[in-house]
Parts: sequence; structure tokens; C-alpha cells
Amino acid sequence: MTRRRRFVIGGIIIVGALTYLIYGGMRQAMVYFVTPSELKGQETPAKDRFLRMGGMVVMGSLQKDLKNLTYQFQITDGVATIPVHFRGIPPDLFSEGKGAVVEGRIGKDGIFTASTIMAKHAEEYSPPEPGKASYPNSFTPGQEEKRP
Amino acid sequence: MTATIGYSSVLVALLLALWGIIAPIIGSRTGRERFFASTRAAILGQFLLVTLASSSLIYALVTTDFSIKYVAFNTTRATPIYYRVTGLWGALEGSLLLWEWILIIFSGLVAWIYKDRHRELMPWVLMILSTVSAFFLAVIAFASNPFESVFPVPLDGRGLNPLLEDANMITHPPLLYAGFVGLTVPYAFAMAALIIGKLDEAWIVTTRRWTLTAWFFLTMGNLVGAWWSYHVLGWGGYWAWDPVENAAFMPWLPATAFLHSVQVQERRRMLKVWNLSLIIIAFSLTIFGTFLTRSGILSSIHAFSSGPVGTVFLAFLSFVLLGSFGLLAYRADHLKGQPELDSMVSRESAFLLNNVVLVSALFTIFLGTIFPLISEAVVGVQVSVGAPYFNSVTVPLFLLLVFLMGVGPMIAWRMASWDNLKRNFLWPAVASLLCALVLFVWKIRDFLPLLGFTLLAFVVFSILFDTALAVRARHRLAGEGIFSALATLARRNQRRYGGLIVHLGIVLIVLGIAGSMGYSVEREATLQLGEALTVGRYHVQFEGLRGSQQPTHYRVEAAFRVFNQGHELGVLSPALKFFPNQQSPVGRAVFRSTLAEDIYLILSGFSELQQNRATLKVLLRPLLAWLWFGGLVIVFGTIVAIWPFRQKGRGWRMEDGG
Repeated sequence: MTRRRRFVIGGIIIVGALTYLIYGGMRQAMVYFVTPSELKGQETPAKDRFLRMGGMVVMGSLQKDLKNLTYQFQITDGVATIPVHFRGIPPDLFSEGKGAVVEGRIGKDGIFTASTIMAKHAEEYSPPEPGKASYPNSFTPGQEEKRP
Repeated sequence: MTATIGYSSVLVALLLALWGIIAPIIGSRTGRERFFASTRAAILGQFLLVTLASSSLIYALVTTDFSIKYVAFNTTRATPIYYRVTGLWGALEGSLLLWEWILIIFSGLVAWIYKDRHRELMPWVLMILSTVSAFFLAVIAFASNPFESVFPVPLDGRGLNPLLEDANMITHPPLLYAGFVGLTVPYAFAMAALIIGKLDEAWIVTTRRWTLTAWFFLTMGNLVGAWWSYHVLGWGGYWAWDPVENAAFMPWLPATAFLHSVQVQERRRMLKVWNLSLIIIAFSLTIFGTFLTRSGILSSIHAFSSGPVGTVFLAFLSFVLLGSFGLLAYRADHLKGQPELDSMVSRESAFLLNNVVLVSALFTIFLGTIFPLISEAVVGVQVSVGAPYFNSVTVPLFLLLVFLMGVGPMIAWRMASWDNLKRNFLWPAVASLLCALVLFVWKIRDFLPLLGFTLLAFVVFSILFDTALAVRARHRLAGEGIFSALATLARRNQRRYGGLIVHLGIVLIVLGIAGSMGYSVEREATLQLGEALTVGRYHVQFEGLRGSQQPTHYRVEAAFRVFNQGHELGVLSPALKFFPNQQSPVGRAVFRSTLAEDIYLILSGFSELQQNRATLKVLLRPLLAWLWFGGLVIVFGTIVAIWPFRQKGRGWRMEDGG
């Protein structure tokens, strides 16, 4: 029976180590998905955690400083609106009036500091519109509509 | 017309596949040989019909027959001919047809090669292959028909996603599918062995080369995918632990485990149930991967739009799992009586540990991938785990695997004596510790990278040391020179030396991953004309914007002159491509690669072509080139392992693995 016992002990060690690895990894990397109204509500337990917030970028709310690559805008789900600060380069598809997911933390001042922005990708590609030539004169991420 | 030919071929092929399932059952009930023979005919018939269907779709794509919806969605008149052909796997419907086509090519090869062998096993092997084929044909015929017509017929098509217009996209999906489908062959043999209850090592020995071939395609598919991601997607990375990447990678883990554990069964007749389970899991994961990709339950850049296909795949997956493990439980009494491990310090226990680690890695990746689904179902909150989870969990596991790669091939079977350990591992251990010391002095002092590099050195030294001993022995024995001794060794023991070369390839891949993960640098800035950005040893100077009209898109390039410690490397011009059919531009990153380091430039924005201002992101990725180089070494190693050297004049035999 000692052989069997050895296998059981070995098994326990392996399962234990694996559980520890997974638990550690999860604690470090778990990202809660919230909406702005859930975040505004008091009962969210996830307030001081690393969050992923999804919603729409409010029209006219986007302010950017290209020199320092900082972006300020608001994200809404139609009920509540949360201001977001971001430094970096947002993805190509990020723009006002479009869906976006931001990752980061919310501060005590109610401002969400994002470390990553993910734009919602359109699944289908839109057919070409006649007469819409494509001679971009400038392109800043998030402004592709203004292209002539 | 083309659509009618294609669609009716699919329907008739489906009927043949159904016959291929029923015939062996009738044959075994009635004992009539000709029912078994008709199973083979059914497979060959499917092969011809599916080839006809695929050719019709390719023909329609090449001739831009926009009356077929799939063609209208995936080509334009302006699309070059080779991208019209690759449109076959540009979207869901076509890629399923390609999958079925590769499956039936493999099945046809099996039916043809083993025409006169394994008389008892073959009808059931072909039945399993027909079952899988019938499933895909039914999906193609009823859930995702690539031959669906569209009315009114559009004047021009919508075109392929421009990201897919890349040479790597020509190879990446077919390679990956060949890997997935290749696993179906050993799975079919395993199931056939279970059905007839002959559970010796025959099915393993027969499918040895198939398994290795499938593993090779899987490896290459993943590597080419990573290369495409790095080369084309323009974010400077090659792996994001995206659900779909995970779906393609997960089958690789049990397949790798299987390649190792079958050697234990061949040698010691152990691990029978384990090997059967591994191949069932590996095959199921290929179906699961498609379910994940096509169902749209997890968002991913690779995901095609959602539809009923996901549900159908889930149903088939449940059927496969229940059926296979049910059969395994039914035959449990045939699988008993295996000898147990003699010692914990032996090759079989090293292989067993390798399996435990690979399966653990699979489990953690699987858990992380489907975690949003679990949390949604259990607590009603969507919680996802990102790349940090996968990295922190898999890095220790993969380091352990690297260590085992240095031990497993050299340690003795059954029970390793102290002498054996000292002879094989003393010098490699000493040499790798010296390496660690040098790295430490050279300021590589973070624990994980230091440990990683030391273990990699250990693997290399233990392989080289072992080979050197063998070469010396041959030199003394037969008086051969180094190179002819190496050639003789490799030819006499193809599997071993092929395997060792593949291990060296893996070492290079891990080296590339460790360097680029542990020591990468990223900087971003908006530059005026003539302004420069300094990143590490590099100096990147902005030299202006240029716009040009290309056949399919408008292209804006920014030129940057790159200096390495004052020494000019040349001009790199990342670009943004504006496609008329697309909402937003597609970035075209550029990079300069050396063995020591890649410098990667991404143009992320610009303002007013005349004003010349550009927003640039610069990434440094040390040692990354070794990752791709490792892929080439794996190609070489696999060729050494499976090339039919010894069968000169005897024809090609799949089962002689060397």
C-alpha cells in the first residue's frame, strides 16, 4: 500500500500546486466587467478593483492632447455617465458615439483612469458607399469620421 | 450552375458518409465482407465529391461569380487572383468546407494506404472518419451553406477583410486545419480499437507518423499565426491569449503529451487508458475550438459572426465526449493489468510528469478561456481573466517542462542508477550553472528570466553532451568522422534524433518568448518634422509623410530614419491603409529584425499631410527572431523524425517510425 500512498501524496502535491498557481493568477488578473450605472450604484463590491467598463463614448465629450497623448471623454450606458482619463494610443476604431470598453480603476473623485481602451469591432464590413472617396488628409485615432 | 454542382456534390457526399457509418454495422451483423469493402468506397466517393464541391467554390471565387453570396461577400473584381483563392477560408462557410476537404483528403489517404492491412480494424476506422465527415457535411449543407445564392446579383463584391490580404493568411488556416484534422486519424484508430476490443499497441504504432504529422501542422499553424499577428496586426505582439488563439493552442498540449506518453506504452505497456483519454481530449478540443470561434459566445478579433453553427458544434462535441468516454468505460476490463512504475527516477516517470504538466497547462488555459462563461453562469457577473493570468500560471509550468526536456530523453528506462544520472547530467548541470553565473555577472538578475535561461542552457548542454558521447562511441567503434557519425546516428534512430532536434527548436522558441516578454520596451510620442524619439540605444527621427493611391486602398506612409547608437540603420516607413470598404484604416507596421533585437514601428496617427505631424509607437523586442528560427529547426527535426529513409525500394510505409 505504500506505493498507492505515494501516488496519493504525489497527486495531492500536484493538485495543491496547481490550485495555488490558478488562485494566484486569478487574484492578480481577474477583471470585473461593469456598466457605468452599476459603477454609480452604491452596492457594487468591485469599486476598488481593476475593472473593465463598457459603454458608449458620449458625443462631444472627447478632448485630446496629442502632444502628451492624453484623452478625456465620458462613457455612458444611457443611464449613468462616467468620466474617463486615458494616456496612450487608443485603437483605430475608437471614436465618439461608438461602443468602447475601457480597463482601469475608478478613483475617489469618480474619474475612471483607463490603462487600456478596446473599441468594439464591427463584425460585418459595410459595403462601399458610392462617391465616398478615400483621400485622408489627417488621421487621429478616434476621428475617422471626419475624413473627407 | 457552379453553385448547383457544388451543393449537390455536398448532398451526395453526405449520403455516402451516412452509408459509411451504417455499412460496417450491417457488415458485422451479417458477416458479409462486401459491406466492409463499401465503407472504403464511400470514403473515396466522398473524397471525389468534396474535391468537386471545393473546386466549384474556388472556381466561383476566381471567376467572381457574385450570384453566390459567399463570393459576393469575400471578393471584389479588384482582388488579385491568389487572394480570390484564399477567400475559400476567408469566412465561416468556406473555411468549414476547407476543413471537410482536408479531412476527406486525410481519410482518403488512410483508406488508400491501408487498403490491404488491418482488415479487422479498418472498417471501423473508416466509419469513425465517415461520422466526422458526415457531421461537417451536414453543417455545410444545412447550417452554413457556402453555395447560397444572392439576389439581386451585386455588381461588385464586398471583399475580404483587408487584414486577411497577407501571404501568411494563405498558409495559416490550412496549416492549422491540417493539424486539427490530422488528430482525427489517431482518434479514429483509437476508437476503432475500442470498438473491436483489440487494445494492444497496434493502433498506436500504426498512427505514429500521423500523430507526428498532425502535431507538426498544429505547431506550424500556431507559429505562422503568431508570425501573422506580429507581422500584420501591427500591435507589436505575437500572442495575446485571445480565446481563439487559445482554442488553436489547446489541442497542441494533449497532442504533445500523447506523443510522449505513447512511447511509454510502446515500451512498457503502461498508460493505456491515459493514452486513449489524451487522444479523445485532443480531438474533442479541435471541435471545441471551432465551437468557441463560431458561436460568438466569447468576443475575439478572430470570431466570425454568430449563428446556429456554434450550437451544432456544441451538440457534436457532447456526442463525441459521451460516445468516446462511454466506449472507454465499456472496454475498461480490457485495459487492466498494466505494470506500475518501478522508480520515480526513470524515463517513464519523467514522461509521466511531462504529461501531468502539459495537462495541467491545458486545464489552466481552458479554465481561463471559459472563465467569463463560468462566472456569468455561477454568480451572474462577467469576470474575465486577461493575459496576466495566463502568463503567471503557465510560465512556471512551461519552465518545468523545459527542465523535463533536458532530463527525459537522457534518463534511463525503468530505474535510473546513480551512475546513469552522474554520467548523463553532471557535466550539463555544471555547464548550465556556469552559464547562470555568467548571466548573473552580465546583469540578468531577475529570478524568472535567470532561471529560464539557465534551464534552456541545461537542455542544450544535455542534448549536445549526449549526442557527443554517442558520436564518440561511433568514432571509436567504426572510425567514422563527426558528421558521418551524426548522420548514421540520426538514420539509425530517426525518432530519437528528430525529437532532440525538435527539442532544440522548442528551446529557441522559449528563448525568443522569454527575451521578448521579459525585456521589451515600448515608447510612444507625437513627433514634428525633424523631431526624434530616443528608445534604448535607438534614435528614431521623423522625416515626413507621404500619401499614395494604391490599387485597392489609399496609403499614408510616415518615414522614420533609425539610428542605432549613432550608426544609421536606414529608413523605416510604417503606414496606414485606407480601404474604401472599411470604416477605419488598417495599420501597416514595419520592423527591423536582428538576432539580438527587433525594433518595431507603428504609425498610429497623423495630422494634416502638409503639416507633417505623426504619432508613433516604438517597441523593442529582444531575442524575438529566435522564436521564428526555432520554428525552422522544428521543421528540420520533424523531417528527420519521419522521413522514410530506411524504406528505400520498399515503398512508403506509414507505420515504420524508426
